[in-house]
Order: sequence, then C-alpha cells, then structure tokens
Amino acid sequence: MSQTLFEAEGIVRRLGGRRVLDGIALNLERGQGYVLSGDNGSGKTTLLRILSGLDAADAGVLRFQGEQALLPRYPDGWRLRAVYVHQHPYLFHTSVAGNIAYGLKARGEARERWLHKVEDAIDWAGVREVVAVPPQKLSGGEKQRVALARAKVLAPQLLLLDEPTANLDAAGRRRTIELLARLCAEGVSVLIACHDREIIELPGVRRFHLEDGKLVPVA
Amino acid sequence: MDLLEPTREAFALLLRGDPELLQIIWLSLWLSLAAIALVSPPSIALGFLLAKRRFPGQRALVVLVQAFLSFPTVVIGLVIYLLLSRRGPLGSFELLFSPTAIVIGYMAIAFPILVVFTVSAVQGADPRVYETARSLGASRMRAARTTLREVRFGIIAAVVNAFGRVVSEVGCAIMVGGNIAGLTRNMPTAIALETSKGDFAQGIALGMVLMALAVGINVVMALLQGQGGLK
Repeated sequence: MSQTLFEAEGIVRRLGGRRVLDGIALNLERGQGYVLSGDNGSGKTTLLRILSGLDAADAGVLRFQGEQALLPRYPDGWRLRAVYVHQHPYLFHTSVAGNIAYGLKARGEARERWLHKVEDAIDWAGVREVVAVPPQKLSGGEKQRVALARAKVLAPQLLLLDEPTANLDAAGRRRTIELLARLCAEGVSVLIACHDREIIELPGVRRFHLEDGKLVPVA
Repeated sequence: MDLLEPTREAFALLLRGDPELLQIIWLSLWLSLAAIALVSPPSIALGFLLAKRRFPGQRALVVLVQAFLSFPTVVIGLVIYLLLSRRGPLGSFELLFSPTAIVIGYMAIAFPILVVFTVSAVQGADPRVYETARSLGASRMRAARTTLREVRFGIIAAVVNAFGRVVSEVGCAIMVGGNIAGLTRNMPTAIALETSKGDFAQGIALGMVLMALAVGINVVMALLQGQGGLK
C-alpha cells in the first residue's frame, strides 16, 4: 500500500510581479519516482528549491511524513531527509571519494561506517575509473554521476533532481539516465525536473506538468 | 653621505647574526604572528557573515569596515594609546608600552584587511557551494566552514596581506609600544630610531629583512592567486 511521504499545499512564489508558482499542491508517495516537466522558466527549479528548503516561498504548507511546516519556515531536520542536486552540480575541491563522503561526515557517521558506503556508491555510479581524477577535471556526465552518488549514499527519503541530463553529451546523458532508471527501480522516492523525453517516459514514474504556475498531473 | 660603508656593515650584521638584530627581528615576527593568529578567526567569521547574511545596516557595516582600511595607523595608535593610558578606560590593565599593546594595535590594523578580503572572497564563491553543503545535511556552521575552505586561497591571501601590513607597521607600534629595547622595539621602529641617531647600518640591515619579507609575501600572494585561478 502506498504511503504519503511528502505533501505540498498552496505554494505561491512571486518573482518580478509574476506568480511563478500559483498555489501548487503536490503529493509524493514513498518509493515512487516522479517527473516534473514544463517549459524553460515555468518554475520547475523554483519549486524544487522550495521543496528542498533552499529558497523561500511566499506562502504554502509542506508536510514531510505528517510533520507540518508553514512556509517560509523549513525545518532544519528535513535537510537530512530530502537532498537536492543542482542542474550543474558543484563538486568540492577534494577527491571524488571526499565529495561522496561529505554528507555522511556531516551526519557524524564514523569513518569505518562511511568508508564502505562510499566504495559502494562509487561502484553504483560507475565512477571507479575516475576516482583519482580531481573533481573539477571531470566531464559534465561524470560530475553528475558523482553528485548522484553523493546524494544517494545518504539514503535520503526524497531525492530532488534538477535537470540531471541538461547539457550532457550523448554518453554522459545515457549513463545518467541509466542511474536514474535504477534509482526509480530501487524504490527511491525521487522527483526529477526535466525536459528529457527519455526520462519523462521512464517506466513506472508518475508525471506532472508545470504550466502557468499550476501543476497538472499527466496521464 | 657614504652609503657603501653602512651597507657593508649591514651585511656583516646580518651574516654574523648580530644578537640585537636577531632579537628585533624575532620580536617583530612574534608580535605580528600573535596578532594575526588572534584576530584572524573572528575577522574571517565576521567577513563570512557580512558576505552571506542579509540584515539591516549590513551594507553600512561593510562600508565602515572598508573605511577602517584607509585610517592612518598612527590614528589607530592614538586611539589605543588613549584607551590604554593611565587615565583611559583600560588604564588599570597597565598595558601601555608593552608587547600586548603592540599586539592590540596590530590586531586593530589587521582586522579590516581580513574582514574586507574575506567578504570579497566569500561573495566571489560559487553560491552552489553553500547550497550543496546545506542540502547534503551540513549545519550552517559546517556549510560556512566548507565555503571558506573552497575559497581558501582568498582567505590565505587575506592573512598573508594582513601579516605583511602589520610586520612593516611603524606609527601605531611607536605610539603604543614606545620602542623599548628588548621589549617593544620591532623592525620598523628600530629603523626609525637608528636612522634618527645616524646609525644607518642596523637600519639598512632591518630594511633588507623587511624588503625580503615583502618580496616573499608578494611571491606567496602571486602563487595563491595562480592557485585560485585554477578553480
């Protein structure tokens, strides 16, 4: 039986006098993959950033497993449960493994516990061959996969991915889509904002379309 | 005036490791390093807050700190002198003409340099650094430390620059230190004193040390700017 993980109600965000988000309501179920489509500038990134607490909304209510937050307040503890990945992820000036371990260290996990998790995540993302390369020298696709591993290793209850295949070359895009398909198949609750036809049509995902500030479920 | 003889004598002083000269150099470096070590953490923290947080009067505060950069050091020395003098509000601590007074003066001089450089470095940082750290579950403090680590070349440049400024500072050191041999006499104040007495050899020797330090600091800064540019 499906269980509600995350709910949003009446999210409003005004930018430059325009209601970019006009009373968005959203219900995300545990273990379900979702794709959020919409034109450029339709507010997909804004919505994801609000759901992850990176941006404030003008109004709205969020509920994470029943715990309610009246926006713009965003409980700090939710950041340990929902992870946002930028369209162009930033990798810290440390090693690939150091990047993947960052969130685990921030959570105070002991080294002996996070070491094997990081190793598993490196294999999961298929970045073993670039593990010794400075992160800033990785290709866009490799950076994206390291960022996905860095988020996935935290076993977040909700993963918010912003245009994960934008500006990637064909090989990078292919490998990133493979990872996204695996994420969805592994039952990770994930909300992906994108235009990519192939992601939109991933099996088992549910679809929303953002248009004129409103969210429309797509059959 | 014959410059050759005092210059030769200056080299001789340096080469034979004249104890008085070494003591002045040691005291200068020690006081400068102590001041920088004490003032850097709060200045860098304030610089980070001024760059990242929005609050009423924030812009005015940045402008005020920037204004401190152009304050003559002798005026800073005068203010500290008045505060530490026997009849001043901090007179009971009897710090005037002590190494501690010089350290306080150096901290006051280094403070705006460190704050302004940090503000500039943090404002120049990619905003995704802090956001990524927060989104991965880092506390505000840890995300701030991560951001500072990502702009470390800018922060180190701030520290190096502040050190370069205080180690060659003379106005404030004379005002609050009093140029007491073995206690508060540092390289710039010793140069001023020895030159006024017509003893150029020690002044030239200390001048060469200061110039070597200046060159060293600029080389470090250039290397750091190169490193920062690699990002």
